[in-house]
Amino acid sequence: MSDRAADSVPFLSLSAVHKRFGGVHALRGVELTIEQGKAYHLLGENGCGKSTIIKVISGAHAPSSGEILLDGKRLDHLTPMQAMEAGIETVYQDLSLLPNLSVAENIALGEQLVAGQGRLLRRIARHRMDEIATRALRELGVAADRAFLSQAVSDLPLAMRQRVAIARAIAAEARLVIMDEPTTSLTRHEVAALIEAVEHLLSRNVAVLFVTHKLEESYRIGGEAIVMRDGLSVAQGPIENYTRAELAELMTGRAIEAVRYRKGAPQDAVLLEAQGIASGGGAFRNASFALRRGEILGITGLSDSGRNELAMALAGHVGISAGTLSIEGREIRINTPAAAIEAGIGYVPEDRLAEGLFLEKPIWANEVPLILDQLSGPGGLIDERRARARAREISASMKLNTADVTLPVGTLSGGNQQRVLIGRWLSIAPRVLILHGPTVGVDVGSKETIFHAIQEMAEQGIGVLIVSDDLPELLQNCDRILVMNSGRIVETLDAETASEDDIYRSMLATKSEAA
Amino acid sequence: MARASVVTGLFALGVFTILAAGGIDVSFPAIGAVAMYSMTKLVLEVAPGMPVWVILLCGIGIGAVFGAVNGILVNSLRVPALIVTIGTQYFFRGLLLVFVGTVWLMEIPPQMVAFGTWSLLEVKAGNGVTVSLPMYFLAFPVAALLTWYLFNRTLMGRAIFATGGNADVAARLGYNLRKVHVFAFSFAGGLAGLAGIIQASANRMANPFDFAGTEIGVIAAVVLGGARITGGTGSVLGTVAGVLLVTVVNNVLVLVGIPSTWQRVVVGAFILIAAGFFVLRDRKQSI
Repeated sequence: MSDRAADSVPFLSLSAVHKRFGGVHALRGVELTIEQGKAYHLLGENGCGKSTIIKVISGAHAPSSGEILLDGKRLDHLTPMQAMEAGIETVYQDLSLLPNLSVAENIALGEQLVAGQGRLLRRIARHRMDEIATRALRELGVAADRAFLSQAVSDLPLAMRQRVAIARAIAAEARLVIMDEPTTSLTRHEVAALIEAVEHLLSRNVAVLFVTHKLEESYRIGGEAIVMRDGLSVAQGPIENYTRAELAELMTGRAIEAVRYRKGAPQDAVLLEAQGIASGGGAFRNASFALRRGEILGITGLSDSGRNELAMALAGHVGISAGTLSIEGREIRINTPAAAIEAGIGYVPEDRLAEGLFLEKPIWANEVPLILDQLSGPGGLIDERRARARAREISASMKLNTADVTLPVGTLSGGNQQRVLIGRWLSIAPRVLILHGPTVGVDVGSKETIFHAIQEMAEQGIGVLIVSDDLPELLQNCDRILVMNSGRIVETLDAETASEDDIYRSMLATKSEAA
Repeated sequence: MARASVVTGLFALGVFTILAAGGIDVSFPAIGAVAMYSMTKLVLEVAPGMPVWVILLCGIGIGAVFGAVNGILVNSLRVPALIVTIGTQYFFRGLLLVFVGTVWLMEIPPQMVAFGTWSLLEVKAGNGVTVSLPMYFLAFPVAALLTWYLFNRTLMGRAIFATGGNADVAARLGYNLRKVHVFAFSFAGGLAGLAGIIQASANRMANPFDFAGTEIGVIAAVVLGGARITGGTGSVLGTVAGVLLVTVVNNVLVLVGIPSTWQRVVVGAFILIAAGFFVLRDRKQSI
């Protein structure tokens, strides 16, 4: 370590920071230190105070008590403007890009805003903006010409948008970039590109703070782990000093075995059988497989491999143009979601917020929509008392962390929301349940309860299809794993004996090999 | 024809500004009527000597204040702008009728008459009729230039677009949404006020019930010009083109002798075609 670094005070440190929201004590004495040019991983279950701490650092919330040292200067709290001037930039999960503005504007308008001290009635210097944007993009290895700079961000692919967001941080001369679950919706290639960009930031002496559930990626990037639990920071240290199990234990406060959850075995009777099915859009073709009663079948592949479309086709969201599908030996046609439900196929979508839940509606209303016919009295009116009673049963069987079924679903954590959705489907006792990315954005502790719920469903004889790119999750839960590549099922692996490497190999095999 | 396009054009520039900010405004006809009628009455009864430029500035000022009320309500209530401006539209017009008056003013102050007939150039047509282009016609191109400058050269213009694109993100990035909303609605209100004064000067009368029902036509012209009703898109040039198209269609149909009842059918068809065109174009791009 050089003398300069040894002498320098940390860029940012928090000590004994508390935050109360009304009666809720969200932060109960957080300590953390951030030095320039290092990577940090903020880990913890949902509701542990991670997002509150980010809001304190970015100036959105003032702490109730405690001390913030910024470059050694003592502050009670940060304002958003102070945080921005100090070079703290936050890249939220949605990237915080303005879709209708150009690349150059997204990157460089912030600088103009800071220069004007937030005053808006001010001429903008277009040349300067173009220059700043070009320079920032060049640092990320993106050659930008005029056409690119003036392109609307909404026309760019996701990975490029992410680079634009990072370029904005560079243009703002950020010293700390906070990234909120940056890789959740990215494919493997895109994650690699993101990690490259992050390494670039680190080499410029910018600190990067990740908020993430994906431990693999944290290990790949390296740096320090900051673990939080129940509003307390419980550990900070180099991430390589902790094993996966240790981190999980720190986050949940209890030991979590990284073991195979799958204990049972499928029955012999074939439940769902697909023979040579293809999608109308051509996303997958000639797909054949059989799902037995009580079997858990994983489907994986890159995000353009057709795995998403296959899942949606079985649920009636995407048309099937060829091949046959049969359930318990009887041929069926599934061209609408209603037909799928009729056949006893349930589908828990990947994006539960947009496609699965009525966020402002209470828990009970989210749990009963499939059994409304059982709850309606004469004249078709819904008996709300009975609906609530049924919802309470569903909540209890799914081990929701609240017994109050009148809370809006939007106020629950990701894990509990997912349990509400799964509970909704179990209410009609489906034959087949398709779970699309069942633990995306779900913390370690909730993952475990979801996995247990999945195993229980299989015990009851439900055929479960898990479509996911979380390989450990598939290996821990499934009987067999189908790997898709370029629209075809290329391999069927036994989950008990297969390794992540095996799956990667067939996922990443070149298209010519696959065909 | 000139008068129609000036008034519609000024309204349309205001509507465009608010659409760009992600809102929608249906209260501008009421604002225009308030500015027109109360200024005319004020000059007639209290300050007959007021020069016309002061009248114009006061009209703009009244419009801007009422617009600011819209902006503050939209920002603080967090209710869709459509609902807010439906409410304020009744409210503003009601205030006008209760406190200012309900009687048509058939005589307007002479300085306004002079302004309304002051011509920029006169052309003697072949058949001996003098056709004149009034000075107030300049208000539209000048206002369009000003709006263009605002949107393309100032930070406020970009902030308005940013807010229309995604208001939450814009707030997160440090744009003050309150300032953006109040500014956009005041700007639109000011334009509506100016349009009101011009309408009275050109028609030589002030009718407190004027402009009622014009809002949909104006919004349609802006949407024809390529601004999306969902906000954050469009251009000043497109808005001007939309206004001119609607005006030309209306006038050409009259000139070629198509009954005025058919005009609505044609304008409606144009809007549907334009909407279809934009949707199809976007769909193609996304594939």
